[in-house]
Amino acid sequence: MASQQHSLSYVGCNFLRQRLVLSTLSGRPVKIRKIRAKEENPGLRDFEASFIRLIDKVTNGSRIEINQTGTTLYYQPGLLYGGVLEHDCSPSRSIGYYLESLLCLAPFMKHPLRIVLRGVTNDQVDPSVDVLKATALPLLKKFGIDGEGFELKITRRGMPPKGGGEVTFACPVRKVLQPIQSTDPGKIKRIRGTAYSVRVSPQIANRIVDSARSILNKFIPDIYIYTDHMKGTSSGKSPGFGLSLVAETTSGTFLGAELASNPQGQGTAVLPEELGLNCAKLLLEEIYRGGCVDSTNQSLVLLLMTLGQQDVSKVLLGPLSPYTIEFLRHLRSFFQIMFKIETKPSYEELQGGEKVLMTCVGIGFSNLSKTIK
Amino acid sequence: WKEDLTQKAAEAFLRQQQSAPNLRKLVYGTGKNPMLAEDADEEDDADEELGGLFHVSRPDKESKQKANALDCSKFPVETPQDWDLDEVMNSIRDCFVTGK
Repeated sequence: MASQQHSLSYVGCNFLRQRLVLSTLSGRPVKIRKIRAKEENPGLRDFEASFIRLIDKVTNGSRIEINQTGTTLYYQPGLLYGGVLEHDCSPSRSIGYYLESLLCLAPFMKHPLRIVLRGVTNDQVDPSVDVLKATALPLLKKFGIDGEGFELKITRRGMPPKGGGEVTFACPVRKVLQPIQSTDPGKIKRIRGTAYSVRVSPQIANRIVDSARSILNKFIPDIYIYTDHMKGTSSGKSPGFGLSLVAETTSGTFLGAELASNPQGQGTAVLPEELGLNCAKLLLEEIYRGGCVDSTNQSLVLLLMTLGQQDVSKVLLGPLSPYTIEFLRHLRSFFQIMFKIETKPSYEELQGGEKVLMTCVGIGFSNLSKTIK
Repeated sequence: WKEDLTQKAAEAFLRQQQSAPNLRKLVYGTGKNPMLAEDADEEDDADEELGGLFHVSRPDKESKQKANALDCSKFPVETPQDWDLDEVMNSIRDCFVTGK
């Protein structure tokens, strides 16, 4: 890729992932300075170092330079290589943190990616593997990324602080992406979910299900929440429980919400009933925000629209999250793409809050390194 | 009443015009050519690295804090609504197939 292009320069450790991902896809080097420069413990954290190692693993020929204190990072991207890999994620962030970026990169590898990730599967900060599986995978399918080798499997569940979970992610490669026109979110026809518990009483999952149902049943009768109690080696190293919920609409939109218990030794104990109720309310908030893509996957859909064929793509979103807004700015600096952003008041009553219609023309990104068979 | 109609239409059009670029401005900043803005940024950086005369001070503390904030894609709900109230529950009633 063109390495002659001058690099983009940023300050601070926030949005590190999207900068590295966009840099890899566009081929433009990035330089990030002043990473926690004024804090007592300056420089990159272990989870960021782990993320950079992961990027290094999936690419070939990347050049990464970090200064001694870890406050400056220079990244010159190589080619996306893929293949069969494994990676030990830092337990200070969950696997979702790493997986979100892999979802952006995986369709553009030279060889289909098949990666085993080890670490924390569910925590309170990042989107969990369960939610990504239920919301992000169907989203990729809309862009034509599908097939037999497309899966995300949780083989072991690991809760913070110690982790011990294991996830397999496999994704086929595509030469070009289809543009999408998803402006009709449809109506919610069913709600599915997973209540999981590891190293605690299996009864806890049932208590979560009952309380979550008590709220959601007022809206729709078709609810099924699986209880997932993992035992032995597949239960990780720390105890914990939680709930993830996904609402599916008639037009194939998936809206997710989740909550997890406090990590062992941190904060007060959470009652399973309370967790179930609060998680159900979070799902209702997400439904209120609405749109064709839920709030955690907004940036993913915008990226795939940008990289699509040279055709118009449209998507209806709920209110833009701060992360997405920054992502839009980054898309402009890396790909010179600006979206048309229109607010759509909800014309029909009783359909939640204001929506935003995002329109763009794809840049016609094609995966040149994919060998044609 | 015809006059009233045209006026109304004009007003509605203007309102839409105003609301549309507003969000765009919020995201992308005002008018400037993106490439130019970027070049300017890079010049600033170069100056800073050289320890040159033109040190740009960016006083906004908020943006600095934001620069080193937590990198997370989740969008937490700031003001949760009370989902036990009927009105609030009704506000999303029609999002379901069973709605209305």
